[in-house]
Amino acid sequence: MRLRLSFDRPNRRDLTVFGGYCLAAAVYIAIGVAWIDFLFSFWVGLAYLLLAAWLIPTLVRRLA
Amino acid sequence: MSWAAHDLEPYAIQKHMRLKVAFVPLLIGSYSPDMMTKWFVYGIHLGPWDLKASDPAQFHRGWPGFGFTHSLIYGVAIGLIIWKVFGSKLWGVSFIIGQFAHAITDTGDTVGTMLLFPWTFHFHLDAWAYAGQTGRMTDAAAYFSGLGSMWDLVFIVYGLYSWRVLTSAYFDNVIYRADAFWPWLNRLVPRGALVVLYRAAFFYGTSRWIAWTIWAHVIHHYPYDLSWGGPHWVPAAHP
Repeated sequence: MRLRLSFDRPNRRDLTVFGGYCLAAAVYIAIGVAWIDFLFSFWVGLAYLLLAAWLIPTLVRRLA
Repeated sequence: MSWAAHDLEPYAIQKHMRLKVAFVPLLIGSYSPDMMTKWFVYGIHLGPWDLKASDPAQFHRGWPGFGFTHSLIYGVAIGLIIWKVFGSKLWGVSFIIGQFAHAITDTGDTVGTMLLFPWTFHFHLDAWAYAGQTGRMTDAAAYFSGLGSMWDLVFIVYGLYSWRVLTSAYFDNVIYRADAFWPWLNRLVPRGALVVLYRAAFFYGTSRWIAWTIWAHVIHHYPYDLSWGGPHWVPAAHP
């Protein structure tokens, strides 16, 4: 009997969402490395993510 | 202490327990042992005052001190209070699981935790150096140079491998259904924002891990020391 690891492959929509979060993460990391205090608080991270991954995309969709 | 594992472990637990846990108290439980103490370990400036524990490791993990927050009995006690006050067994049990994960994970460093408090014996695996007493920046540099950061990386990789746990479909079918908190919050906040809130701790833990690693090894060139108990260039605290 052979054991095989299976990986559930994401579809295009999943990858698009993931790409958006990667972009948001890249900006967060860049700000954090430049200004380290930005990394200290979970609440700052939460507020940033709400802005970057929900509020801005929602506003852009409405304006488009 | 761990810098990102406490953000990430709840997602691994969630993957395996599905509807048997509520995510919010699981995450609160995972954060709870450090909630009241971390600021005093590193110290803060408050107007003309500098507030900092004279013996940070003792204050954080010891007795006398607040080390009982890293014990199993503390998790059970707060979990029972949550069960009685909020009338939710699910919330109480989920909090306990999250708090247990934190207390057990922190046995990985050189100070360890008093898991079986009031027995004040410290369980410690000595895998990475506890350096909270050196201040936040040196502690970060040491942590992200030793095995502690590799332990965090395990949960980042496992979370990405278990990526379905982070999807909006999983949120709708499991997270939202398991806990009445989410439908209640949905009356105030749109569903799209709820999904973002659910993913926030994973985003925070992973992004912060990458940022601190860049800060420690690209900006400041602290040496990696992945030997057991390392990094040995920092003075590790012991119980």
